[in-house]
Amino acid sequence: MENRTGRYAALTKRLVDSVLATPGHMASDARQAVLARAARLGGRPSSPLSQRERGIGAEDIPPALADYVDKVALHAYTVTDQDLATLKQAGNSDDVLFEATVSAALGAALGRLERGLSALCGEASAPDPLSTLGPHPLTPSPFGRGGTRE
Amino acid sequence: MRLRTVEHGHRLAQRLKLLLIRVVSMRRVPDVVKTLFYRPEFFGRPMCDWTQAVMRGPSPWSVGERELFAAFTSRLNQCLF
Repeated sequence: MENRTGRYAALTKRLVDSVLATPGHMASDARQAVLARAARLGGRPSSPLSQRERGIGAEDIPPALADYVDKVALHAYTVTDQDLATLKQAGNSDDVLFEATVSAALGAALGRLERGLSALCGEASAPDPLSTLGPHPLTPSPFGRGGTRE
Repeated sequence: MRLRTVEHGHRLAQRLKLLLIRVVSMRRVPDVVKTLFYRPEFFGRPMCDWTQAVMRGPSPWSVGERELFAAFTSRLNQCLF
């Protein structure tokens, strides 16, 4: 992860380490798998995998969570109450879902950050992973002009 | 808030801070703050440190410009924030 997030690399590393290594309700390896999957979906430029990443596969993500992780990573605003209710009925605690959501959101954000930094450095990048999926980001917001909902 | 534990499951120190925010602002506490205050050692604390450095630390961009970038990005992500 180092050297891929620009001038704030140390703070970014601390954030990632906290999310992945802090004792929690979801296995650290599963959190790592969720973050790596979301980062790829977010557009992380291809790069040699770290030793830790090489040992992680999709099988480390509980199958019921995989679709939810993809949704958070690609278009989080489409997550519904029903999505969470279904995952809870499948036996996932609130804390597991909290950790999975944070790991997915952080992974997707890092993927986009790294993609943007690569573009600024003039590196060629793969097609935008969002370009063929779901509504375009510039479609009108269902919530009007933005701001906060009270 | 869809996760009940993130809405109501804060430890005493964070509950007191949330109460103080609610009393002083006279508004309900935004969900993003409740999320940052839930188990802060896991996510909220390092995230706030990162955000503080990026949004308020030394930079060739002004604070206002950085806030504009953040608002624009949130808008593209259809994020209410």
